[in-house]
Amino acid sequence: MGLDLDRKFQGIEDVRKGFEDVGYVCSRRIATTLYLAHHLQKPILVEGPAGVGKTELAKAAAAVVKMPLIRLQCYEGLDESKALYEWKYGKQLLYTQILKDKLADLLEGTDGLAEAVARVHQYDDIFFSEHFLAPRPLLLALQEKEGAVLLVDEVDRSDQEFEAFLLEVLSDFQVSVPELGTIHAVSRPYVFLTSNNTREMSEALKRRCLHLYIPFPDAGLEREIVRVRAPGVPERLRAQLVAFVQQLRELDLKKVPSVSETLDWARVLMVLNARDLGADLIRDTLNILLKFEVDIEMVEGRLYEMAGKAVR
Amino acid sequence: MEQVLCDLITALRGSGVRISPAETVEALEAVALVGLEERGILCDALSVVLAKSRTEKEIFRDCFDRFFSPDGFIASGERPPLLADEGRRAADSPLSRMLLSGDPAGLSMAMREAADQAEISGIYFFTQKSLYIQRILRGMGVEGLDRDILRLTREDPDASQQKAGALRAGKAFLFEQVRDFVEQQYVLYAASAREAIMERYLRDMKLSNLEQRDYERMHRIIQRMAKALNDAHSRRKKEARRGVLDVKNTLRENLAFQGLIFAPRWKSKKVNRPDMMVMCDISRSVEAVSRFMLLFLYSLNEEMARIRSFVFCSDMAEVSHIFEAYGVDEALMRLQKGTGLGVGLGRTDYGQAFRDFKETCLERIGRRTTVLILGDARNNYGAPETGILSLIHQRARRVIWLNPESPPFWGTGDSEMRRYLPFCTLARECSSVSQLERAVSFLVKNA
Repeated sequence: MGLDLDRKFQGIEDVRKGFEDVGYVCSRRIATTLYLAHHLQKPILVEGPAGVGKTELAKAAAAVVKMPLIRLQCYEGLDESKALYEWKYGKQLLYTQILKDKLADLLEGTDGLAEAVARVHQYDDIFFSEHFLAPRPLLLALQEKEGAVLLVDEVDRSDQEFEAFLLEVLSDFQVSVPELGTIHAVSRPYVFLTSNNTREMSEALKRRCLHLYIPFPDAGLEREIVRVRAPGVPERLRAQLVAFVQQLRELDLKKVPSVSETLDWARVLMVLNARDLGADLIRDTLNILLKFEVDIEMVEGRLYEMAGKAVR
Repeated sequence: MEQVLCDLITALRGSGVRISPAETVEALEAVALVGLEERGILCDALSVVLAKSRTEKEIFRDCFDRFFSPDGFIASGERPPLLADEGRRAADSPLSRMLLSGDPAGLSMAMREAADQAEISGIYFFTQKSLYIQRILRGMGVEGLDRDILRLTREDPDASQQKAGALRAGKAFLFEQVRDFVEQQYVLYAASAREAIMERYLRDMKLSNLEQRDYERMHRIIQRMAKALNDAHSRRKKEARRGVLDVKNTLRENLAFQGLIFAPRWKSKKVNRPDMMVMCDISRSVEAVSRFMLLFLYSLNEEMARIRSFVFCSDMAEVSHIFEAYGVDEALMRLQKGTGLGVGLGRTDYGQAFRDFKETCLERIGRRTTVLILGDARNNYGAPETGILSLIHQRARRVIWLNPESPPFWGTGDSEMRRYLPFCTLARECSSVSQLERAVSFLVKNA
């Protein structure tokens, strides 16, 4: 296992190939980042516009290193009881009920209240042990024996308190549970944090991570992505549809089409058995790329010109 | 390698990229991992480790390219004047030898070494350029070269004369390359330092004295300020007050456990997002300042969710929609010219402005609203309508007045500031960015 991993992360080119084998086409920058993250054992903070494959990167990484992917979706109000651990209150309660009779046995022969209390004291940490601990994603990732890929998705949606609390996990790969002490990672997980930049992350968090910005891919890379993810699309059509999408991204749209939408469109065109990109075909399928009425209207206005450029 | 990397980081820090010592160490590790063979990969690796936002990445690329750009010896393809083989051996100093044999790599190395010795990363002002040129030349051993030239000119034979001429030409060439190199380094290290100095200076400058050429820089300062303020304060935070048990909530939460209290609930209070109404004077008397007031207003509008903006002169109009619809330059131009706003740009009339405000949105002011007024309170001797301001003051959480004039001028001439003063929770002078920043920081902190 370890040997296999070393081989996959031997050089930047190996990383790129490894990811392409699981269907993720990465640019040199992404490959370099992954390579560094593996060797420096650092989390990666991935930023970029929606739909460029930030989450997909973590999934691909899990497939490459053959480890389970543990995902933590962030939202406003997320706290440690949902991210880290919680006590199984119900189970604790059930056990106290069941063990009520045992209490009588236990206290047999004690003399006076003080002695009884002292005896109960000997057992009182039982209910706050690992048996009653319900691990949440962060703790799960640390406990995974064979290692794991931890994806903290859309970390910018969480509160600042949560961000601060992530720091311990990210820098030392350990968490502190007051009742149990500090829990260290069995083997260091690969950590990916994704952010859509709805707010600026704190300096402290950024300092602990490698920072990767994924922009929209250029035409060459996007063609490559379409080739790998939607293999049935003929080469001619692939070049045309990518050229068209690239043109769309230049326009001043409310929401520009993302890579995932390009892929959807490619698949739709394939189902429609298209050979060539024509203005009519684009008009009929435009709603797959553009999700706002104003955008669609704007593009329809100059459809012929754009289609002409893409086909050329 | 370490020294080179540290110099790069110095340059980056100067340009506004914040890099901690821990990141420096990481950068070294990263370089050791990816190696130096390929420039592109090195650039990617360092960018991942050192630059932690999109803008920082752009700055990084810039710095990286400038820092690792080849110097004149290698790039230009120009060669020092060569001399036939036989004359070369006699030359004494290593520098003369390198010049005569036309060894660009050796010269480049020598120059960079000398530059490191001279600590070129400390260059800040253009007046230091010649100093550094001299230092580098001396470090490269220009004295030996001079001695050679002198010796050769004294000797008589033609061959020596020819060689002396070649050396002289070589020296000129050398001087030119070193000058270009220092120029390049100056841009790299000093441009950033200058930026920082300039910014500090602009912050304390009176807004009314700013010149056109500084506008762009000012925009950036103000935008950054508004962003920082909003980052710090706009999130609705729950301030936990540990220690006070929320009995009702605790009982409800623990019903599932037969009423046994397993998970106590504590009382918490929500801190509210600021809710603001801003009135900005755009009349002639505050023309110089209003541009920045409006710019600040624009930045606030971008950042804050709940804000309504108004501008007034002879009367008042709401402009929130303009901020949303247009880019910053277009919006500011429209506001300053008053095109399509429905604002009369005649004599300033605070009384009329307040009457308009009362009609349109006095009702909307609640006990959480902050009312911010930006203006000099120069009312051209019209009715001041203090009654309305008093009404606003009663309804609103607070009324804050930022006045570009300094307090001794308040109440002089047609200024009604003294009369408005009793109805302001806070009135401050606000004529430079520092003052603006302080006032707004107060404003949001106590929201």
